[in-house]
Amino acid sequence: MSVKLAGDLQSGNVVIVENLPLVVLKAQYNKSGRNAAVVKLRMKNLLTGRVSEPIVKADEKMEQIILEKKECTFSYSAPPVHVFVDSDYNQYEIDAETMSDVEKYLMPDMKDVVEVTFYESKPISVVFPKVIVREVEYTEPVTRGDTSGKITKTAVLKHSKHELQVSAFVEIGDSIEIDTESGEFRRRC
Amino acid sequence: MNRWDIFCRVVDNYGDIGVCWRLSRQLTEEQGVSVRLWVDRLDAFAVMCPTVRPGVPQQVIDGIEICSWVEKFPATEPADVVIEAFACEIPESYRAAMAKRLSAGPQVPPVWINLEYLSAEEWVDGCHGLASPGSETSLRKFFYFPGFTSDTGGLLRERGLLRARDAFRQQGIRAFWGRERFRLPSTPRKDIAGRASSGTLKSHPLGSAGREDARELRVSLFCYENPVLPALLECWAAAPVDIRLLVAPGWPARQVAAWCGAPLELGDFVRRGALTIQALPFLPQAEYDELLWACDVNFVRGEDSFVRAQWAARPFVWQIYPQTEGTHLVKMEAFLKRYLTGFPQGEAISDLWQLWNEAAAEESSRDSKDLAIAWKNFVSRRTEIDQHGREWAERLDRTGDLANNLAEFVMKRRAGVSP
Repeated sequence: MSVKLAGDLQSGNVVIVENLPLVVLKAQYNKSGRNAAVVKLRMKNLLTGRVSEPIVKADEKMEQIILEKKECTFSYSAPPVHVFVDSDYNQYEIDAETMSDVEKYLMPDMKDVVEVTFYESKPISVVFPKVIVREVEYTEPVTRGDTSGKITKTAVLKHSKHELQVSAFVEIGDSIEIDTESGEFRRRC
Repeated sequence: MNRWDIFCRVVDNYGDIGVCWRLSRQLTEEQGVSVRLWVDRLDAFAVMCPTVRPGVPQQVIDGIEICSWVEKFPATEPADVVIEAFACEIPESYRAAMAKRLSAGPQVPPVWINLEYLSAEEWVDGCHGLASPGSETSLRKFFYFPGFTSDTGGLLRERGLLRARDAFRQQGIRAFWGRERFRLPSTPRKDIAGRASSGTLKSHPLGSAGREDARELRVSLFCYENPVLPALLECWAAAPVDIRLLVAPGWPARQVAAWCGAPLELGDFVRRGALTIQALPFLPQAEYDELLWACDVNFVRGEDSFVRAQWAARPFVWQIYPQTEGTHLVKMEAFLKRYLTGFPQGEAISDLWQLWNEAAAEESSRDSKDLAIAWKNFVSRRTEIDQHGREWAERLDRTGDLANNLAEFVMKRRAGVSP
């Protein structure tokens, strides 16, 4: 654990506040009066996912922690947990609730390498690669003459049954790229 | 919710204690709360409020308990509401007592507020009322920002202030200028030797009665150190109309005295060309308000007098508190953007303000000729600026006043309502 001034915080930094690990999503630095400054922070609780917007003096000392991260692959699901394994074949159980935002991208025999973050040896988050490829299990046929790609329609992913908007030309059985940060369709492979 | 502790550190000048004293009085008189004001420099406070006795660690004035904030802070039961003015840090022992009260159980914890500096910048709206998490305890401190929109805490304005201002303008101005400290005597109280630059200082040749009725431009001066001031004094001395300059003590009086080439003491008045200079004592807040209401143009500085000049609704020139890296100029621009919206003659104000402030930041390459032009333009638009000032004050009035907004904010926090 190290000390960092609030005015030096950047997005991605993790600090301990009131005994909770919070990741900085955004730090807005503003000079107030008499050469003092304040920082408005947008922070996410790594344990609960709750987002908050506190304000602190720029010269306030914050306890920064460097979280351990490991590259893992998905092994199997055993509700209510999902099991991941690292390159040394250590297994980690992660609560489905913890990864509710990305659970929809899980699939059997998934080859994507994910980044698992640990806080006090406990896995607290899973980050997928920015772009992943998934198969479309179902989508309505394209309307004749409407293949520009500007019109979107709903598609259902194989395994997860997750629905998202794709271009009109995407068909059943197509592989598509998905941006995991925005959750949006990128292109057909 | 009835006991409030306000902590004030006098860092420099009198702005900190000016705001805290004004807030304390308003909370006591209008919100019916019991205020204890902790001040680290009672001597500075006594300058503004002569009834304060600097050597007395605990005293009551106007129903407010005033306590000396000493380094070895006494064991004190925390109040229901705790305000640290301008981000001054409250004593560690006091904070510990607040935390203890929080952990004690069913009692409602104190509402802890950092009263921030005034700024017109847009980011203030998004920061007002946010909480600052405590690092070791669950005590949260709320950042309360004064400001110019309904998304901020507003500005200090006593109930009935604007009515009192208007009544004064209708009936009180003549009596005001007749008061001993504002009346020009028929003979000078002190002869000040002339200086040899472009004119000679001499005693005022006029009798008092005739002079006070004469139409002259009356200007109040309250500023920080400002290298532009001598050029402005020269400009006023050469003005086509008579100007009476009422000079506050401290920096303004010292700089004017340097220009005069002789000390400028309380009660002195000197004349050079069209300019008559009158040295004032440090006025109590209520009387300073009247001075702002009575003068044709007010030069103000910092925060407290800046706000009062806006309520006075007379043409005014603001010297903002200088900051490093020209930050204050950004803040001044932010205010001008709000203040001049919908005012077609805005350049008459902004040109003079910029010269008055940029030079203080040593970033100006413009000379005294620019200043003379800017002053001339400003004065020639005085009627329009006056009207605009009235409309601006009415607009500010609609956002509510800071003390009342603060009391409502505290009530909501105690009721558990999130900002």
